[in-house]
Amino acid sequence: MTRRPVFRDGVLRDNPVAVMLVGLCPAAAVTSRVIDAAWMSVGLFFVLLLTRLCQAILHALRAPDLSEPPAPGAPPQTSVFPLRPRWLGSLLLSSCFTAAFELILLAFAPSESASLGIYVPLLAVNCLVLERFQRSGPEDEPESPVRVIARSLREAAGLGAGFAICLVAISLVREILGSGTITLFAAGSFGGTIEVGGLSSVPVRALTYGGGGLLCLGYLAGFARLLGRRKRRSGATEAGRS
Amino acid sequence: MSLLGIILTFTLVDNIVLSRLLGICPCVSAPSDMRGTAAAAAATSLLMSLSALAGWALQTFLLEPLGLGFLRTPVFVLCVACIAGFLDLLARRAAPRLLRAARVPLAGVVFNCAALGVVLIAARGGFSALESLAVGFAAGAGFFVVLSLLTAIRERLDVESVPEWLQGLPLHLISAGLLAFAFLAFDRAFLSRLLRGW
Repeated sequence: MTRRPVFRDGVLRDNPVAVMLVGLCPAAAVTSRVIDAAWMSVGLFFVLLLTRLCQAILHALRAPDLSEPPAPGAPPQTSVFPLRPRWLGSLLLSSCFTAAFELILLAFAPSESASLGIYVPLLAVNCLVLERFQRSGPEDEPESPVRVIARSLREAAGLGAGFAICLVAISLVREILGSGTITLFAAGSFGGTIEVGGLSSVPVRALTYGGGGLLCLGYLAGFARLLGRRKRRSGATEAGRS
Repeated sequence: MSLLGIILTFTLVDNIVLSRLLGICPCVSAPSDMRGTAAAAAATSLLMSLSALAGWALQTFLLEPLGLGFLRTPVFVLCVACIAGFLDLLARRAAPRLLRAARVPLAGVVFNCAALGVVLIAARGGFSALESLAVGFAAGAGFFVVLSLLTAIRERLDVESVPEWLQGLPLHLISAGLLAFAFLAFDRAFLSRLLRGW
């Protein structure tokens, strides 16, 4: 049995924003300040991890399929309603955990809750999109329920970490160049804002607008593709030499 | 705000794609022909209008009277998913050519943030039933405008030489970003000057 490094793949090979290009709405909309990107990443991590945990537990506890197997040659049975019950279940789980995160954010960081606005509820849809990249386990050996849960959690943590790294990287570029500041969590005498010398007096304001976010995303996706190709080429050259 | 003001605001000034940055994924990966674009945009617009109206009804008659405002997200998400599912079912029976032209199952629009975003914007804005319907319709019209413009830009770019690492989605995102800067010309002052004569 070959065990894939699911956490590392979620961060690098299957990075949701830079490689898979999903969840682009929050990546462009909430990255004008680092703190907004950080809270959004925390929210996605929280919702994705709990949704996957519940799914994995339900999957591990599911009852055996007692329905009769279809007759040979019979056409496959398809539901009349286009949305499958599994998707609706995932949607319900992720939206409930999103509502819970909204309440937590409202209680502990009301100003951030107001700043993020409608993008927090939209985490439910983003998590559902990431659900589509869920991998099945190895086919050559049945997995124990504990292993299924552990693999789901590692995968969710990898995707969440990949999403967070991209969001924070884009927000750092946009905030440093666009405002000349880095906004972090306020603690004690630290007000939460670091001014970047030289850039705070002549910022590139365009980067703080929505269009700036789309430009940053486009170049990030392009650079990710360029790096991936170079890596593949160097790998092929080394394989040829050996 | 008058209905005309709402329609102009959500079509041009506060465009759902370029100002709110919702529904970017379908815009940058939509079908590259104008017919497919029109079909996809029409389907999404219809979903947005119906979802905004349904969201208003749920907010007014269910969530607010029962004090269940904290359940707004799950209720709205399931409402949009069910409307998308039933529209897909209807379109498969009544207009299968529209679905084939759009190349995306209507139920798949659930994965698009724009539909849920419009419902949330309408609910948080405190609009009436008719205004919510107008918000949904205008957001759909704005989506159609941006999708058409991006398709036209993509058709032009297809014949230009572009660095290999920027081809495809990266270039579409950069085009959308530049279009967003162009749409900054439609600001509130422009709208108020436009409506002064009405």
